[in-house]
Amino acid sequence: MTDPAFSPAPAAEAAMVHAGNGTPAPAKITVRDLNFFYNGFHALKGISMDIPEKQVTAIIGPSGCGKSTLLRIFNRIYNIYPKLEAKGEIVLDGENILDPKYSLNRLRSKVGMVFQKPVPFPMTIFENVAYGIRHHERLGRAEMENRVEQALRSAALWDEVKDKLKQNALGLSGGQQQRLCIARGIALKPEVLLLDEPTSALDPIATSRIEQLVEELKADFTIVIVTHNMQQAARCSDQTAFMYLGELIEFDKTEKIFTKPNKKQTEDYITGRFG
Amino acid sequence: MSTPREHIIKSYDDELTRLTGEIVRMGELAVTQLEAAIDVIERRDERAAQRVVINDDAIDHMEQEISHDVVRLLALRAPIAGDLRNVFAALRIAADIERIGDYAANVAKRSIPLSMVAPVTPTRSLGHLAELAAAEVRSVLKAYQERDAEAAYKVWKDDADLDDAYTALFRQLLTYMMEDPRNITPCTHLLFMAKNIERIGDHATNIAENVWFLVHGEPLTKQRVKRDLTSSPDMEPPV
Repeated sequence: MTDPAFSPAPAAEAAMVHAGNGTPAPAKITVRDLNFFYNGFHALKGISMDIPEKQVTAIIGPSGCGKSTLLRIFNRIYNIYPKLEAKGEIVLDGENILDPKYSLNRLRSKVGMVFQKPVPFPMTIFENVAYGIRHHERLGRAEMENRVEQALRSAALWDEVKDKLKQNALGLSGGQQQRLCIARGIALKPEVLLLDEPTSALDPIATSRIEQLVEELKADFTIVIVTHNMQQAARCSDQTAFMYLGELIEFDKTEKIFTKPNKKQTEDYITGRFG
Repeated sequence: MSTPREHIIKSYDDELTRLTGEIVRMGELAVTQLEAAIDVIERRDERAAQRVVINDDAIDHMEQEISHDVVRLLALRAPIAGDLRNVFAALRIAADIERIGDYAANVAKRSIPLSMVAPVTPTRSLGHLAELAAAEVRSVLKAYQERDAEAAYKVWKDDADLDDAYTALFRQLLTYMMEDPRNITPCTHLLFMAKNIERIGDHATNIAENVWFLVHGEPLTKQRVKRDLTSSPDMEPPV
């Protein structure tokens, strides 16, 4: 941070973000003074925020601002790389998930993730969804079929694939593949769904379908979405966090961010004046 | 106009439908206010007149809500093409309805001093003028709700009838004032009230132009016959 005018949002301000109807929404995830280092590089600086339950929280900001890094800490995906270090607390349902004693298996079953590029496994559509369930649970055939159908229905894909469940998933369109990945994620019945640029590889129709799906899924899941597309954040999130150079600049209701942001640098970014 | 297909994101449709509903409700409230204003003139009811004046706040409040919803839609949905015209027209129509509400409240306000002097015959003609204006606003609201550009065009064209009635009333009031100076006070109030009602018709034609633009995406450029002749230098009371 070189410009002293670019001050981060104080923790107290971030914690005051409430649901759209004015009543405070309970926080599903509370981030407290989170700092993250890539091999010594200070990538996230003192992030504090409350992510409300069963709402959509969008994280926006220019490339390299740390938004994907923050998302990836929520399911500790950074653990697979050496020399990465997170300090601070991320409290999910009262427990600090950064505590090494917090089981990764348990965390990944509670926090699902969908990536920018759809990555279906090279197997049948059915097996793509069943694969993760088998990793965590032992289900009978009928029960498994039911779970797979429910997941595909929730991901708004069932009607398009119900007659070709035994076909290879790689034959699906990009948009269908991404919805399959979402089905795979929600088949484990997670509580939090992390979406990292889920539509950047999709055409506008497939993008709208995913956005409609996000709107439906928030009835059951807490959703955090990282997006380069500011209009997408505007369309489908309840609150928006703006990050810049590893700091959380502003975090507020999406309507507020896109009509009257508090910080000048947020306004400059969303109106295309820098970034 | 055929019903457009739904958006893939359903809440977008919900927001646009709600916006239309808000406009129609606001318009109906404004017409009710105009009818109430005429009613209090006939009944010479000062307290009821004050209630009509106070009720105008509800219309102002609805306009603020619509403005807020429009800003929200523009910021969060970035509407384009027909959706953009829809949102743009809603903002403009709300402003016209707000003015219609103001005029109705003004009519009610003037009914108070009018009720303090002896009744004059042209008051009945004012009721007729208001009926024409209320029918005009109702028709244009229906045209808006149904996205019916032709119906809106008819309202726009037929405003000439309201202008005719206004001009006739203007002449009638001049005659009464010339006949007896004691009529000047009530007739002056009636003149202002009549002008307010004539202006309501003009706002209805503005709404009609916005419905036309909403549907066709181009302004209504036809020439409208204006028959309000009261500002003409030739205007004199009938001999």
